[in-house]
Amino acid sequence: MNHRGGFALIKSTWLSWLQYRSFFFVLAFGWMIPPLVAMFVWLAASGQDGIQGIHRSEFVAYYLVLILVNQITYSQANWTLGDVIREGLLNNWLLRPISPVYQVLSSEFAGKFVYLVFTVPLTILLGLVLRPKIDISFLQLSFFLLSLILAWGLRFVWGYWLALLAFWFTRADALLALQDSLVFIFSGMIAPVSLLPGFLQDIATFLPFRYMVGFPVEIFTNQLTLAEIGLGLLIQSIWLIIALILCSWLWKNGLRRYSAIGG
Amino acid sequence: MNEKIIDVQNLSKTYRVPQRDPGIKAALNQFVSAKFQDVVAVNHVSFEVTAGEIVALIGPNGAGKTTTLKVLTGLLQPTGGSIMVAGHTPGKREHAFLRVISMVLGNKSQMLWDIPALDTFHVLGEIYQIEKIEVKQRIEELSLMLEMEDILKKPVRNLSLGERMKCELVASLLHRPQVLFLDEPTLGLDISIQNRLRSFIIQYNQRYQATIMLTSHYMADIERLCSRVLLIHHGELIYDGALNKLSEQLSNSKLIRVTVSEPLADIDAKEWSSFGAEILEQNHQNFTLRVEKTQAPACTAMLLNRYVVVDLVVENPPLEAVIDRIYQEGAV
Amino acid sequence: MFPFTLIKSFIRVSVLQNIAYRANFWIDLLNSLLNLVVSITAIFILFQQITELNGWDLSATLGLVGVYLIVSALRGLFIGPSLEALVGLGQEVWSGNFDFTLLRPINTQFFVTFRIWRMNALLDLFLGMLVIAFAITRSASPVPFWDWLLFGITLIASVLTLYALLLAFSSLVFWSPGFLFTWVFNALFQLARYPVNIYPPALRILLTWIIPVGLITTIPAMALSGTAAMNTVLIAVLVAILMFFAASWLFQKGIRKYNSVSS
Repeated sequence: MNHRGGFALIKSTWLSWLQYRSFFFVLAFGWMIPPLVAMFVWLAASGQDGIQGIHRSEFVAYYLVLILVNQITYSQANWTLGDVIREGLLNNWLLRPISPVYQVLSSEFAGKFVYLVFTVPLTILLGLVLRPKIDISFLQLSFFLLSLILAWGLRFVWGYWLALLAFWFTRADALLALQDSLVFIFSGMIAPVSLLPGFLQDIATFLPFRYMVGFPVEIFTNQLTLAEIGLGLLIQSIWLIIALILCSWLWKNGLRRYSAIGG
Repeated sequence: MNEKIIDVQNLSKTYRVPQRDPGIKAALNQFVSAKFQDVVAVNHVSFEVTAGEIVALIGPNGAGKTTTLKVLTGLLQPTGGSIMVAGHTPGKREHAFLRVISMVLGNKSQMLWDIPALDTFHVLGEIYQIEKIEVKQRIEELSLMLEMEDILKKPVRNLSLGERMKCELVASLLHRPQVLFLDEPTLGLDISIQNRLRSFIIQYNQRYQATIMLTSHYMADIERLCSRVLLIHHGELIYDGALNKLSEQLSNSKLIRVTVSEPLADIDAKEWSSFGAEILEQNHQNFTLRVEKTQAPACTAMLLNRYVVVDLVVENPPLEAVIDRIYQEGAV
Repeated sequence: MFPFTLIKSFIRVSVLQNIAYRANFWIDLLNSLLNLVVSITAIFILFQQITELNGWDLSATLGLVGVYLIVSALRGLFIGPSLEALVGLGQEVWSGNFDFTLLRPINTQFFVTFRIWRMNALLDLFLGMLVIAFAITRSASPVPFWDWLLFGITLIASVLTLYALLLAFSSLVFWSPGFLFTWVFNALFQLARYPVNIYPPALRILLTWIIPVGLITTIPAMALSGTAAMNTVLIAVLVAILMFFAASWLFQKGIRKYNSVSS
């Protein structure tokens, strides 16, 4: 494993992406808006009494943390890997003595760094204005961080296997659109999962999407018991393993097909 | 028809460019007190073009050629001077003016990419309000002249560079403009296509008396097409006249090519430097000297004295070399 | 009628380009349906927990979603695609191809507004009308003719306001080429998915008087549910006309800027 080369690649990608920061800031701004709109809707809806025990300042906390978690876990693999495969540029990567995963990872960290430079200060500012209620114990914080790392891993690997479908399909639009919609509904964006109507809530508990965004946020905002956290972490890990298996299988077969066709 | 179709008097264009040092501190300073620098792109340039002429506008990169062309087409407002093209002030960008001019940009395309060229031509026909029958006739005529009937129905993205340039020309001539501006039209094309396009331009000019102004870095374009050359350097017009006189006028050297009867040992450079002569090349019985104009007669006499000369020619330096030197040294 | 024959020609060429570019009708249909489903799902999830949102009941809110879809569809029909070619990704202003646009003997604003059409947006238009029909039947009270009239007037005003805003944002590119101002507008436009009065006062004022995104969907929806006072309608029309002239002026200024510095 060429770690030295990998880290050098990550650093240089960082620096070059910083040049285009205004483009990435516009993207980050765009991703912040849907959660903010949802937040304002629930604020207006909850009025003085709150909804199912969640009060205004708790909604604020939920959505501000969601904005950060969403940004941290957001998957770009469709562009950083999928397009590379579709445009036949994978050969450049395969010739280097670095695993292609490093290429995708370097774009991942470079991007996240630039996006967060924009999102974090803005979120803090919003927090100062909107006064979220944040009341978190050390134990919860630890669980939150653990689930956040797993969430990032899951969303990254999930995006990775979807991107690998580029070996077979020249267009990803339909799948992406579907994925975005599912994430929007089931990951806790439209509403915290606990506020989803019964059947949707059950589906959300088993699909992987909640574990990419909503689950860590729910831990952070005190919505879960210890048992629920445990169960969630388990489901999160299972989905991560499934995604890893999918990646490995798709990569082997995809590469075979790619070199057979001639790239 | 000796009417003036382009009349440029004292054209000047100065850009105000923000001055910014690198770094974050300087970038913030920019908001507080912005610093600007005036860059003179074109400096009091004057010339006239009569209808039907083919004129070349040449000069090194950054000399002000493109700026001048853009002012003449109304794409850029001049800072000073008065401009008349086809009876209009270009800067006003009146529709009547835009209907009688046209421009081809060598490195940019006005064709719609994914569909056949014919479809772009039809839209242009609508935009310029040309009768459908007329459009059809003109496309036929132009594509015949350019030998491109077979590519009209292919998507433009599938065409080669040369084929695409033919399309650009047709697109720009559909509305029979009085003045055609060509900015590097043969850029990147292979020799045969370049020749094809040059022949076409001459043919078109003869048939329709269209005034053509072109910029190019290819000497072959200029030599084949243009009777007249405008040389712009550092924003100033340093030559306006016939091409063959340019070398004579702008260069203060002459080349003397000598062939002697017996092969020579190396000529002693010092010997000739007293004439201000420079040995350019030397090869068995042939050598070439560059001499300052006024010294040429004396130098020639010396040569005839010194050697048994079989052949001796005194000529102007090749155009390319002259222009090259001007571009490089910035001086004449 | 020169403008109309010209538009016909633009539509023809746009359709040809869409076909050549393998734009997929089915994928567009999928996207439109997903957009619809997600929007409606969000409303239903919300109204499982409440019965009214700041005075808007389920039918009224659905009506607003319908307006949002209709207005978005009209934007997606020609305004959006045309302006994206000017100032979106791969923008003319940056690449310099704007020179060709300026050389045409037709009004530049007309040209950049009408030149590219995406006929599949008619799908979204149809879906939006379906949503409105559904909202009306659900409210169980028929809409009187007078309210339809007001709806029509305010809808036209809304589209004009939307056009003006998009044109204004697009014009900013002349002062800062390369920056994706229209993408910023897209993000802000998400706020129009809900009635403007759910937002906190400061934001509400911004969305009503400064960047009147809020007016675009809220007022026609109000007209439909019979809650739009005459002076509200008049204000909407006035704002639309004012913004149109202001945006057109900004655009002309932008062209003059381009004419003085493009090298």
